[in-house]
Amino acid sequence: MINMQEEIINLKNEAIAQIMSARDSAELEEIRAGYLGRNGKFTNLVRKIKEVPAEKRKEFGITLNESKKAIENLLSDKKQELIKILTEKREWFDLTMPGLKPSIGHLHPLTQVLAEVKHVFNYLGYQVADGPEIETDFYNFEALNIPKDHPSRDTQMTFYLNSGKILRTQTSAMQGRVMEKMKPPFRVLVPGRNFRYEQVDASHGFEFWQVEGFVVDENIHLTDLFGTIDYVLRSIFGNETKLRFATTNFPFVEPGVDTYMRCTICSGRGCSFCKGTGWSEIMPAGMIHPNVLKTAGIDTKKWNGFAFAIGLSRIVNLRYHIQDLRTLTTPDMRILSQF
Amino acid sequence: MLIPISWLKDFVDIKLPLKELMWRMTEAGLTCEAYKKVGDDIVLDVEVTANRPDWMSIVGVAREVAAIQGIKIKEPKEEKLPARSANFPIDLVTNFELFERWSAIIIKGVDIKPSPDWLAERIRLMGHAPINNIIDITNYAMYELGLPMHAFDYDEISGQIMTVARSSGGEDFTTVDELSYKLPKNAMIIKDSERIIDLVGIKGGLNSGIKPSTKNILLHVTIDNPVLIRRASLALGLRSDASAIYERGPDKGATVKALKRATALILKLAGGAIASEIIDLRKSNFLPWKLTLTPEKLDKVLGISINPKDVINILSKLNLYPIKSGKNIVCTIPTYRGDLKIEEDLIEEVARIYGYNRFTKTIPEGRVAEKQIPYYFDDSFHLNLKHILNASGYSEAITLSLLSKSTLDKFRVESKGLAKITNPVSLEYEYMRPTLIPGLVGAVKINSVSPLKLFEIDKVYPSENYKLAGIATGVTFRQFKGAIDAIFDKLGIAEYKIDFETDKKYLHPFRSASISIGKEVVGEFGEMSPSVLNELAIRGNLFCFEFEVPSLKKHSKTGTYKNVPENPPQIEDITLSFPPKTRIGLVTELIKSIDKIISNVELTDTYKDNFTFRIWYQDSKKNLSDQEVEVIRSKILTSVKSKFGGTLRS
Repeated sequence: MINMQEEIINLKNEAIAQIMSARDSAELEEIRAGYLGRNGKFTNLVRKIKEVPAEKRKEFGITLNESKKAIENLLSDKKQELIKILTEKREWFDLTMPGLKPSIGHLHPLTQVLAEVKHVFNYLGYQVADGPEIETDFYNFEALNIPKDHPSRDTQMTFYLNSGKILRTQTSAMQGRVMEKMKPPFRVLVPGRNFRYEQVDASHGFEFWQVEGFVVDENIHLTDLFGTIDYVLRSIFGNETKLRFATTNFPFVEPGVDTYMRCTICSGRGCSFCKGTGWSEIMPAGMIHPNVLKTAGIDTKKWNGFAFAIGLSRIVNLRYHIQDLRTLTTPDMRILSQF
Repeated sequence: MLIPISWLKDFVDIKLPLKELMWRMTEAGLTCEAYKKVGDDIVLDVEVTANRPDWMSIVGVAREVAAIQGIKIKEPKEEKLPARSANFPIDLVTNFELFERWSAIIIKGVDIKPSPDWLAERIRLMGHAPINNIIDITNYAMYELGLPMHAFDYDEISGQIMTVARSSGGEDFTTVDELSYKLPKNAMIIKDSERIIDLVGIKGGLNSGIKPSTKNILLHVTIDNPVLIRRASLALGLRSDASAIYERGPDKGATVKALKRATALILKLAGGAIASEIIDLRKSNFLPWKLTLTPEKLDKVLGISINPKDVINILSKLNLYPIKSGKNIVCTIPTYRGDLKIEEDLIEEVARIYGYNRFTKTIPEGRVAEKQIPYYFDDSFHLNLKHILNASGYSEAITLSLLSKSTLDKFRVESKGLAKITNPVSLEYEYMRPTLIPGLVGAVKINSVSPLKLFEIDKVYPSENYKLAGIATGVTFRQFKGAIDAIFDKLGIAEYKIDFETDKKYLHPFRSASISIGKEVVGEFGEMSPSVLNELAIRGNLFCFEFEVPSLKKHSKTGTYKNVPENPPQIEDITLSFPPKTRIGLVTELIKSIDKIISNVELTDTYKDNFTFRIWYQDSKKNLSDQEVEVIRSKILTSVKSKFGGTLRS
């Protein structure tokens, strides 16, 4: 019994000595766990109470509790003391020390900008469609009112496949595919890769990305097209964006619209990207030509609509001031890590 | 198309400052973004859209500039020619399928000499070198009125007969500029009684061309079949101002007017006298046509209401002769506006001259689709994958989807059955990629960072299925494998199996495997074959993976929440020694499966044949006693020993 009492006292003294010499909170916490924790020395002593003769148990209990109490108090005092020392005694601490960066990868700028574009259109009620890049001449051209041998095919030189199909030259190819399968109204967004026969240089590539959009409903106006383009480009490029619209001709729209945006690279002063004009052609569009609707079996007396194409690669270039088109398809970490 | 301002001023006054004029032309559809100064003159460079042959002429552009400025153009008057003084015979054998109209005249006794300065200067302004008075006049009249014309040496037309026909292919033809061609099939040609004397609409023949000694000429203006012109000029790689006009379809009503204009100039500058009637063989009379504009439709399409007076005014400035007919407006379309066919075309005319930038802006009011659209695509799964890979330290690359036969060969990929381009820009880009791996591996050669971790999610061909691929260099196998574990973990795919063989020959013969879920192979991973790397001149090793995105999507699960256990787990590290060639992944699987209170097993350390496993024992209902843990631990040791020969390290 004497042994048990002594054991308690010894343990208490041992704890006190350790607490007094502790230098920081972590060390203090370790000491606390070592004596008072689930497997602590005092906790284990409590479990030995069964070994103490019944008449001595009370005394043992009191000594044990007092000792525990004393240690707890001392721990608490020591903690206050340590906090005081740590906060009052100025020690050198270098906050400029460079951190160890976690290695997080980078999202490609096309992915980032496309997500933004989709978000904007989602808000306007558009649904996203994904269509084939290996396409037929019919959907890519004829359904879009571009017959064989039409001179506008000149600007869309085409790759032909051994299967007799072609690589689509424009995401507009999805207009016919969606329209023939669904009754209006609908608002559709088609992001995707297109191919045109071009020799590769800084401003040309045979692969490029577009986002096609089209709306068919009972009462669609040219003002709706202007308003949509304006809303979308301001959402992406900010409210200070300057736009102007011009007439153009694509066989699948009438009236046809071309959208020019004040060049973001030179702020309109003129640079090689905007060919010195200060304006960048960014979003060709128009009211859907009745022939396109008719080919897809849509009654043009009731329905009309508009369509547009956003040059996604171009938007990325204007957003990040990238002047060479090849940048986007070059998997170089010196490029990718900037995004 | 070049437009010298000085020439334009022959037909229209210019009131707007240059920059504003250029923008207003662009706004109206006649894109004009560049100009150059030539002496005192300014030459505009305009881009003419495929629907406007009339803009391929000075007069056509002048009409547009007049309409923009709200003024009238000084239309060139039809020339009055003197009576003929001779009657030279000529027999024109036409075919309306090839020539919708064929107008010709013969002029005798011309004097071939250099053009006067004013004419030579205008030819130069159009970017061409003056040749002689006759040739220059035919070009001049074409630039002015937009109708290509050609002058033949009348005395070189054998048999005084000209027959328009299709070539049968393979004929030899030498152009007036002394270049020789083999003709493609179905090019339009004119033959005399002996030879081919003209490649219609593209180039004249050397044999019948104007020479310094030419005395008598036949001048003609034709309306050619645009499709045949286009095919022939593409086949021969011969594009000219004339072929560009023909493809767009020039003014069928003005051939005689153009012929008279050129004839009058010739009589004035080269002398001579008229030696035939004007011959005019035409399929029809080519008269102006009517087109009706209804105000309701105009308002509906535009979304704004333009004052009817302004509408009439705009149409009138465009020479469309609008006349009110009840509520409607009936226009008479001049023959040079072949692009105006339907009411929507008239609506565009009103809108573009009114000015697109004066319109209000609205957002469509109507309904959105109630159902999912055809081809509906939700890319949130792709984005989720991209975020998992980003967090694993992989950066996203987008590489070209075309590659070469030699790249396929290097990666031991069979080219049979792939989508092959029959007219590639170069052999570098002849095949559509069946795998994303080569594009990513190519990145190793342009990057010097280590580790390099890249991924790509995109289509492969011809299936157009999406794949997810990644490569890593400068990492250990376990670091590489960790990203794959993270992908499956995050997608909630627990039941996948590693099969120790793949059909991908670019992978290492035994350091690679495929992964399957159930019976479906979802992809493969492992080390790149050293011999492939050697051929690609890539040093060091490289790990890669490629998975089918639709399969991953199909098997991914969103788990349900499990309550956090109230009691803390018991965690312990056990170090085991295994004989060589033990598959440690299977050992971890085994340990996990021994009892449900083993909530997690991780490999924390390896040293030679020793492997340290951290094991979590967790009962959701109670604290585990040391004795309970001890029972499970001995079960682990027994199983590991019997299945894999593993022993507790002493």
